[in-house]
Amino acid sequence: MTMFHFFNCAILTFGPHAIYYSATPLSEYDTLGTSVKAALVYLGTALVKLVCLATFLKVSENDGFDPYQELLKAVIGFIDVAGLYFALTQLTHRNISQNHKFQAVGLGWAFADSVLHRLAPLWVGARGLEFTWDFILQGLEANANLVLSISLAALGSLMWLRKNKPKTLIPIIYACAGIVATMPSITSYLRRGLGWHFPKVVGFELFTSLSMAFISWQLFSACQRPSS
Amino acid sequence: MANSKKPGGLREMLESMYSVIALLFILVACVELCDAAAAVDVYRLIQYDMSGSPFGSRFAALNHHAASLHFPPGVDLSRTVLIIPLRELNITFVREYINQKNPLGGLLVLLPEVLSFKTGGNKQVHEKEKMKNLLAELERLLVHSNIPYPVYFAFENDEIDTVLADIKKNDLMGQPATATTGGYKFVIPTTEPKKVASPTMTNIQGWLSGLKTDGDANQLPTIAIVASYDTFGAAPALSVGSNSNGSGIVALLEIARLFSLLYSNPKTRGRYNLLFGLTSGGPYNYNGTQKWLRSFDQRLRESIDYAICLNSIGSWDNELWIHVSKPPENAYIKQIFEGLSNVAEELDLKVGLKHKKINISNPRVAWEHEQFSRLRVTAATLSELSVTPELLESTGGLFDTRQYVNETAIVRGVKLVAESLARHIYGHQGKNIQIFADESSLAVNPAYIRSWLDVLSQTPRVAPFLSKDDPFVMALKKELAGHVDEVNVQHETLEGIFTFYDSTSARLNIYQVASVTFDLLLLLVLGSYLIVLFSFLVITTRGLDDLISLFRRPPSRKLKTA
Repeated sequence: MTMFHFFNCAILTFGPHAIYYSATPLSEYDTLGTSVKAALVYLGTALVKLVCLATFLKVSENDGFDPYQELLKAVIGFIDVAGLYFALTQLTHRNISQNHKFQAVGLGWAFADSVLHRLAPLWVGARGLEFTWDFILQGLEANANLVLSISLAALGSLMWLRKNKPKTLIPIIYACAGIVATMPSITSYLRRGLGWHFPKVVGFELFTSLSMAFISWQLFSACQRPSS
Repeated sequence: MANSKKPGGLREMLESMYSVIALLFILVACVELCDAAAAVDVYRLIQYDMSGSPFGSRFAALNHHAASLHFPPGVDLSRTVLIIPLRELNITFVREYINQKNPLGGLLVLLPEVLSFKTGGNKQVHEKEKMKNLLAELERLLVHSNIPYPVYFAFENDEIDTVLADIKKNDLMGQPATATTGGYKFVIPTTEPKKVASPTMTNIQGWLSGLKTDGDANQLPTIAIVASYDTFGAAPALSVGSNSNGSGIVALLEIARLFSLLYSNPKTRGRYNLLFGLTSGGPYNYNGTQKWLRSFDQRLRESIDYAICLNSIGSWDNELWIHVSKPPENAYIKQIFEGLSNVAEELDLKVGLKHKKINISNPRVAWEHEQFSRLRVTAATLSELSVTPELLESTGGLFDTRQYVNETAIVRGVKLVAESLARHIYGHQGKNIQIFADESSLAVNPAYIRSWLDVLSQTPRVAPFLSKDDPFVMALKKELAGHVDEVNVQHETLEGIFTFYDSTSARLNIYQVASVTFDLLLLLVLGSYLIVLFSFLVITTRGLDDLISLFRRPPSRKLKTA
């Protein structure tokens, strides 16, 4: 029953993306092109990050937490943000509302991330006879990642696409964007520096992604109200 | 926006993409995965036919769930592997199970780690006698039964101990592992065992010429010293036979070394030729010795004064036995026995004489000297065994490891044989002259014996699985060649009543599997999760759209494009 397990983990990892696309009005407005373009931008960003990591990062023998290396990784992680900026602003989108634009970009971004990072381990590992909880946890992580990507895209669109923002909210927006952008470093610190186990880390990711999504939703709706 | 050129080019691009994707899928589907909870080296029970009747374990591949001895009574074990550590083995239970031909998926016996020649090392064995008897009984039972499921032996280590503890826990809770309840699965992915095509026996003989003075028309008399070097046991990959007959081989090599020292100088060369024989086919009625003797020239055979065969001289305390087939009143036998007894007295040990008549019509050959006697050559076997072994017994089994051999015993045995041979050769019978005295240049070398014993205790030597140019046989030949003048190697086919099957060792993969019910449950949970997510998103986005009414939505009618 190992293909069965692979199927289960696959629908957990990739199902929510498809569900999100079909459940929200994104499907009605045919924003698939935007998502695909965002996925391609993610691919390009990943390649650039790979080259930078290979050039600048030292391979450490032990699995401990090296602050300098992690700082370097965080800096390189900001290339992610640059890629997202490129996807949100520079790509020529058809006439879709800002509301749907950030969702489509976030969706495409998260889908590319899941495929790149999780499909290969799933295919190789989940089909075996040996059972581990890892792949189910990985699927939950993919879900958290989806929520985080969409929140980051929302905050990004607030920062770069919306011109008239209430002055008080601007620092909050930037702070939240900073937190979400550095989430990978935070999780790796938890895993390596504090030695948290995988289930705990995934739980933390889910919790923070939901809270960040809620905060960015509030910020987004707060920014919408003045101009109405 | 859409022009006629674009769809065509797009179609071509899509087609090439499809072929690339198809290729990728094919490549990816070929990825074989082998990540197991544990992987252990296992050694299969021997499989052989004797006169057409099948014996041993008849299967090799394994793919079943595992259970321990604490399985709930009445459960069907035909698709289960029983894993039994030796300390919990109840021989009557196993004997009944096999004799009643109860179905079983497989049997895995865990041997204590000290017995392993790879990792056990020279650790002391606790309760030596008890373990030896248990192993001997188990071996006797398994080797002489026809078992229609795979039987494997493995050594205990930390990984497999944790797995076993887990299995026991599950069994005690009343949940033996099956497809619907999860647990551990044992997989050995081997092919069906095939017959060994033409098993070879390789006899190695070494010739040390005596001093031939001019005018000596007749050929010099010869004395033969013989030992068989191959083994047979329940697990052929573990049959190292340290005592049977590693001790004999080591003693033969040491005697060859001592006499080569003596014979290297013409002044001390004796007037006897020495013939050393390392024969194969020992467990199979000394088939190899028979073929070796048959290949002799008539003159050579007649020139042999007598032959001494060495068999298991590694773990005795004070008494050795000389087994003969000619009656003890025979003059030659008396001479040999007296020679050995005199030296034995000086060395403070006892030798006894045992006479067993040969029955020419009975094909069973229990001692190597009987093959000589059948061709009318005087011969005797020196052994610590007082009782004649049965067929396929005392041939190097599971318990015959390095820890059960005492090198001091071998040293004394070598002294006994070498001294008595030398007295016969140089005519010092009855005189109290020690040729191979300690502290002399001709002293028996315990380090040589120890190092060869260590090597032998790590080399399984079951004849059908030794190829013609097996490195160990070549090493024996090279070693003997260093001591004697001339070495000959004779290859014979092991025919007769025995047929052997290969696949003696394999790698066991232990997987921890989840049950089918778990997978179904997970599917249910995920399905409901996705449905909940879908409805949540629809409700919230519709709600969201109602809240944010600052921009007008474009008409939400999907235009069907041609």
